[in-house]
Amino acid sequence: MADLRRVDEVVWEIGADARADMRVPARVFADGRLLEAIRGDDALTQLQNVATLPGIVEAAIAMPDVHQGYGFPVGTVAATELPDGVVSPGGVGYDINCGVRLLALPLTRRELGERKQALVHEISRRVPAGAGRNGKTRLRPPDLDRVLVNGPRALVEHHGIGLAEDVEATESRGRIDGADPAEVSQRARERGAPQLGTMGSGNHFVELQFVRRLHDAGAALEHEQVTVLIHSGSRGLGHQVCTDFVKRMDAQLDARGIVLPDRQLSCAPVSSDDGRAYLAAMAAAANFAWANRHAIAHAVREAVRTVLGDRAAAGTRQVYDVAHNVAKLESHGGRELCVHRKGATRALPGQPVFIPGSMGTASFVLTGRPKAMDTTFGTVCHGAGRALSRTRARKQVEGAELRRQLEAQGITVRSPSNRGLAEEAPFAYKDVQAVVDVVVRAGLADPVAELEPIGVVKG
Amino acid sequence: MFHWAEHTGELELEIDAATEHGVYQDAVRAMAELLGGDRPPQGRPASRRVTVAARDRPRLLVELLAELAFLAERDGFVPDTLEGLTAGPTALDASVRGWIGDPASLVKAATYHRLCFEPCDGVWHARAVLDV
Repeated sequence: MADLRRVDEVVWEIGADARADMRVPARVFADGRLLEAIRGDDALTQLQNVATLPGIVEAAIAMPDVHQGYGFPVGTVAATELPDGVVSPGGVGYDINCGVRLLALPLTRRELGERKQALVHEISRRVPAGAGRNGKTRLRPPDLDRVLVNGPRALVEHHGIGLAEDVEATESRGRIDGADPAEVSQRARERGAPQLGTMGSGNHFVELQFVRRLHDAGAALEHEQVTVLIHSGSRGLGHQVCTDFVKRMDAQLDARGIVLPDRQLSCAPVSSDDGRAYLAAMAAAANFAWANRHAIAHAVREAVRTVLGDRAAAGTRQVYDVAHNVAKLESHGGRELCVHRKGATRALPGQPVFIPGSMGTASFVLTGRPKAMDTTFGTVCHGAGRALSRTRARKQVEGAELRRQLEAQGITVRSPSNRGLAEEAPFAYKDVQAVVDVVVRAGLADPVAELEPIGVVKG
Repeated sequence: MFHWAEHTGELELEIDAATEHGVYQDAVRAMAELLGGDRPPQGRPASRRVTVAARDRPRLLVELLAELAFLAERDGFVPDTLEGLTAGPTALDASVRGWIGDPASLVKAATYHRLCFEPCDGVWHARAVLDV
């Protein structure tokens, strides 16, 4: 591993001359302690691999929650210049538009009181979680096409699911332009269509929280207010879109004269037929993901209605919804770029950003700052970031024991899988407070609020 | 013989087998463990014909794993054993026996990252990283 040069208090860099195939430096936002954790796996080598992509500009940038992935490390931003810079499906990931949505309920933790258990139970009853669970909304092929093109707005207009104001409080209003359902394979449709409104497994969750600390008095949140954080993505539909296009672009690498250090970085120029087709399919999957979180939010509102009544349901509003696995065509510094955010969150100045902690630890609300536009293409981290493998986490704690520990902390837990619960143990993640501190010290975002978990429904 | 190597974010499958066909047999066993979880088979017995093609052995292994991931997600099919296997460097055909039920977990994808499938020191060695 090439030596990292310290650029400033929380920025480190591997020069572009560290490897003959690197086109730009590899840059890391971290403090000394996080950097030790980051050095502990293959993330920095993978970041240098990203720096070899044709058309990449400025740097391959790692956020403080970065960890080893496949192709791109998780927690990376990479921008390529149009028209001939490449788009890499692996640089978005299989869970296209995995992201988080925050709802704010019109009551405090004290007012929720003893009804917390019932609310967590009702959410778990209404939001299918775990492997292969199907959703309650059946989409016929034309319905699915409308969702692929228009995202959650199609659910509001054609199915009466959710609210129009939720769509307005969503990144890109829940719709990336240029989605083409014809570029979404039959296999992707078969995997994903039944799954609308489902959470999935792995690190996906619906968490009940309260605002334990408010840094910004002008924020649209109040001290002690109850919130719900939803983390999910495009389910099997997005997974298959990525699979299809990694394979398709891999088959053309030699013909395009693209040489890569890792074939999972397979890519094609944005201006090519394959590049355009991928972006059209990815947009469709991203729109499906926003519709998925929209349907989950609707189910949460119905759970609130059942347990807390109509007024509480009517007063439950969406704070924002933001993606952390997506590629977008954006203008930065007068250049037209394809910005890949893989486990990284768009953070435009003033835009809300949600950083989930590990299970049992606080999550954070931030807002983007102008400096992020200058240094990270308007991007911050996306979570705590794994520090231990799933295997190692399971060796250190049993799911049933972890469930007892969380309940002892006052966190109600609903999960169909003890094994899955153990894999997501808090100690398997980096310190989310340290991750957020780096982002704030780097001037990329301002802190707004800290949210403490009081209940969790795990996939 | 297969095992799961350390990988912070995902699952890295390592296989060493005496024969090329043994690699595929072990790949199915690994997916059976992953999709079936710790519990005994539950659900009705079933089999699925799997026919995949690719331009080389490593990609062929990815195609097999991807097919099993797809069948688990669409049909709830959890594999158990591979039968009637015919496989060359670029094509594979087999019947996979298993059961239809409720998989313990799903696999998002089989990736090309660190992918290999080659003879090494008298055995066939293969590796594939799965996104879970």
